[in-house]
This record gives sequence, C-alpha cells and structure tokens, in this order.
Amino acid sequence: MFRLFSTPGWFNGWDIVFDIVGLIVAFLIAAYSWRIYHINKENRFAYLSLAFILLAVGFLFKTFTSSILYYTPIRDVAAEVLRPVAGKGLSLSLIYYRAAFFLQMVTTLGAWLLMFFVSQKPRSRLKKFYEVSQIALFIYLLLLVSIVSNFRYGVFYMTSIVLLSLIVLNYYKNYLNTNKNKRALAVMVSFLFILIGNIAFAFVFFSQGFYALGEILTLVGFLILLITYQKITKR
Amino acid sequence: MGSRRSRLELIFDILLAIQNKGGRIKPTHLMYKSNLSHKLLNTYLEELIHKELVLVEEIQVKKKQSATKTVVITEKGLGFLAEFRRMREFTDAFGL
Repeated sequence: MFRLFSTPGWFNGWDIVFDIVGLIVAFLIAAYSWRIYHINKENRFAYLSLAFILLAVGFLFKTFTSSILYYTPIRDVAAEVLRPVAGKGLSLSLIYYRAAFFLQMVTTLGAWLLMFFVSQKPRSRLKKFYEVSQIALFIYLLLLVSIVSNFRYGVFYMTSIVLLSLIVLNYYKNYLNTNKNKRALAVMVSFLFILIGNIAFAFVFFSQGFYALGEILTLVGFLILLITYQKITKR
Repeated sequence: MGSRRSRLELIFDILLAIQNKGGRIKPTHLMYKSNLSHKLLNTYLEELIHKELVLVEEIQVKKKQSATKTVVITEKGLGFLAEFRRMREFTDAFGL
C-alpha cells in the first residue's frame, strides 16, 4: 500500500483529529485577517489571510488522504465516486494519492512562503520592481519541491523547516520590535513548536514515533495560536 | 518626527481623545489632543457624525448668549475603539 507517512498503528486517526484542529484554527485566523482587510483595505492582511487559507487547504488534503489510507470504508466510497473517471485500476492507481499529496505539499509550502514574506518588516520586503520575477522563481521552486517530495518526502519537510526557521526568526524580531509584546511572543512560540514538529517529521525514517511526536508538537503550536487568537478577539 | 497616520488611526486618535476626557470634549481641546488642524478635524468630525460614532451637543451657557459645543462619543464610537484595539493587537502579534 502506498504510504507517504510512517504512522504508528496506535496513532491512526489521531493525526486526523489534530489536523482538523489545525484546519479550524487556520480558518479562524484567516477569517479575522480578512475582516481587518475588509475594514482598512491594507493588502498585508489579505496576504496573511490567504496564507492561513492555504494552510487550512493543506490540512484538508492531508485529512482526506489520511482518511482514505487508514479507513477501508472511506477508501471504498472514494473508489466508487472516482471509478467512472479512473476505471478498473483505481485501487492500484498511485496518481490519485500522488496528486493529493502534491496538493497538500504545494499549499502548505505556499502558506509558509507567504507567511515568511508577510512577517517581514515592510522595508525588508521585495521591492515592486523585482517582485514579480522573484515571486515567480519562488513559486517554481515550490512546485518543484512538491513534485520531488512525492518521491522523497524528506525534501518537503526540509523545505518546510527552512521556511519555518525564517518565519520564527521574523517573529522573534517582531517580538523585540513590539517591546516584547506577549501576543507577539505567543505567535513566535507557536511557530517554533510547528517548526520543531516538522523537524520531528523529517526523522520519521528513523522511527515511526517521530511522526506522532511531530503531530503532537504541531498541534501544540496551533493550540497556542488559537489561545492567542481568542485572547485578542475577546478583549 | 512620527510617520503619517492612516485614516483609521486618525479616527482612533480622535475617539480616544474624547474617551480620555470622560466621553465629552470641546472641539478646541479635541483639536489639540488629536494633533489635527481645524480644517482636518472638521472634515473628520463630519464623517464621524455621519457614521454616528460621535454627536455634537450644544449647551446653553447661562452667562453667555452663545451655546457651547461639545463633542460626545457614542456607544458605536466606543465599539469602534474596542475593535481598533483588537485589530492593532492582532497586527502587533503577527508582525504586519
């Protein structure tokens, strides 16, 4: 059976629950950022909203593929739905798994990349003149990494680690620039947990337990984001 | 010298100045507290009145024949202040 992740048997299903939590948190933050954009028409809020929407979509694809991999009834339903298109060879068709994994990876990497740009201070952001060409280059690299990651999943996590490291660094600078604002610290810590989670994922080849550890750390990161979001919006 | 304030920041500064004065303030005091010119303040006040974020009361002073104007913040104006504070906190948290 085709597998991208080496999930320990006892953890089957729990990662779906954790991913759904991440999906909900990402949607909440995306919605609030979009609302702010609607009020003040500043593009940076729209970009942040888009980043979290991409993250949520990535989680959606991951939940979808995990459900099909873990649960035979869901796999059977999916096969029935897709049979008119795929034909007899669906049960052995890797292309659907690869497509779903590709979509998961490209959206997640796209989210990290956009978040990296948004978390930079305005003066450090790309100037308009070079923007289009450099963004196009980044998108090309993202697509390339997502395709390669289908065959070597470690590439996806290594790329995520690099992007998340830069995001954590940006948010650390933001924490210092905002006179050590507690919420800024919380956001930095949440992305730090997500980063460490991705580092754990990269070592799945070593032991399956690292997958569970990565999922738990990522969940903690998103729970911190959720708590921060609640504290901001409920004031 | 500080950077130029956005439109929303100006509205926030005006409403905050009113709130800090117990919810009502004379236009002249408001001009100094919000650091705006007379013309600009009037422009924004018109907008704020139209959006029902503030209202202008005229109080007849016994000793003087003319009425004294006072700018009063409304519930909606207080709501805007709270919402703007949330937005600013979100902006600071996510480094936007």
